[in-house]
Amino acid sequence: MHRTDSGDAASPDLVARCQAGDVDAFAELYLRHSARIYSLAVRMSGSPQTGEDLLQEIFLQAYRKIAGFKGDAAVGTWLYRLALNHCLDFVRSRQARMDKSTDALEPESHRTAPAASRQSPVERIDLERAMQQLPPGCREVFVLHDVEGYEHKEIAAMLGIAEGTSKSQVFKARMKLRALLT
Amino acid sequence: MITPHPDDLTLNDYAEGALPKHRLAEVDSHLRMCSDCRAVVDSLRLVRSSAGRLPPLAPPREAWARIERTLRANAAPRRSARWQWLAVAAALVMAVLGGMKLSEWRHQPSSTANVPDGDLAAQSAAELLLAEQHYQKAIAGLERIANDEKGSLDPQVASTLEKNLAVVDQAISESRAALRSQPASEPAQSSLLESFKAKVALLQDTVALINEMRKGPAARDAGAVVGLKRKGS
Repeated sequence: MHRTDSGDAASPDLVARCQAGDVDAFAELYLRHSARIYSLAVRMSGSPQTGEDLLQEIFLQAYRKIAGFKGDAAVGTWLYRLALNHCLDFVRSRQARMDKSTDALEPESHRTAPAASRQSPVERIDLERAMQQLPPGCREVFVLHDVEGYEHKEIAAMLGIAEGTSKSQVFKARMKLRALLT
Repeated sequence: MITPHPDDLTLNDYAEGALPKHRLAEVDSHLRMCSDCRAVVDSLRLVRSSAGRLPPLAPPREAWARIERTLRANAAPRRSARWQWLAVAAALVMAVLGGMKLSEWRHQPSSTANVPDGDLAAQSAAELLLAEQHYQKAIAGLERIANDEKGSLDPQVASTLEKNLAVVDQAISESRAALRSQPASEPAQSSLLESFKAKVALLQDTVALINEMRKGPAARDAGAVVGLKRKGS
């Protein structure tokens, strides 16, 4: 189960007020969902500053689009999908700009990697920082798979890559993280 | 005897529990003998489980303030435009009521039967002045919106609107000229009121078109322009 499915119980009244353009109601919606969306944006972009910019763009877009929200899903799910699509657009445009292959990321051979700390717990802060050091391309796939819980075939469809590429990128990311964290 | 090291993706699939059953025994067998590969699998699992447990990050406190400022800045002109519309709508109601009052008064034979001619002319002029004031108020409100937002219109459309307005203004001038020479002329009075109504309708269409243009290119409705041309012709 990926994190999109986490339930939220925004009242129909709150949604209706948001749809009527009530900024105070929208503030409440922001309060409920901004952390999840900010986390996605920071982790996908690899930068807290870019994540904050994306967060702002996502909520401004949500404010413009919420009038068209039909209530087919929970408003939090709708918001998350909007955020994910926005982050994916960002990733695609950045990839198009950089046209940078992550093939350069060659994980060190696992045969020689230190194994001493393999069982020690990974500090959350360390992991967040290490994730920011992952190369673009590799990082987004890792975030979608290991953090957000999407399947490789879902990621492949989202990013327009082969399922095998998704698996390979996740492996590279995990190995790179292991190296960064030991 | 130790088997060859499985490739990276095989170990990755193994760590995710996604390895096909027919390969499990082979990899299990290798892992029992190879501590390096066991370390890799452990690391892959550790990173995966740690990433899956990451808690949400709190956005910076000022993030909402920035969003709110933008939302309220964008909402303010909309509210202002709504109030302008309400004012114009109220003025329009008054204008229509004013026009109706004059028209009703004209079509009530009993109301004029016992009124001397001089009084009738004065009463007619007063009613006409009142109706004109109502229309002028409505026109002023609509013109204010139309002039403020004229930039939203395609230059060609704006030019057509200008020409149509000039035609209506010419009709108003001619009706006024006729009334100056014959203040009691009922056709001249009706012509003036009809010209005011045409101007109000034209400005209403202009403002509606501006609103459509502001909504985006998809909302541009050629029909509205055709309608405006028809009115002006």
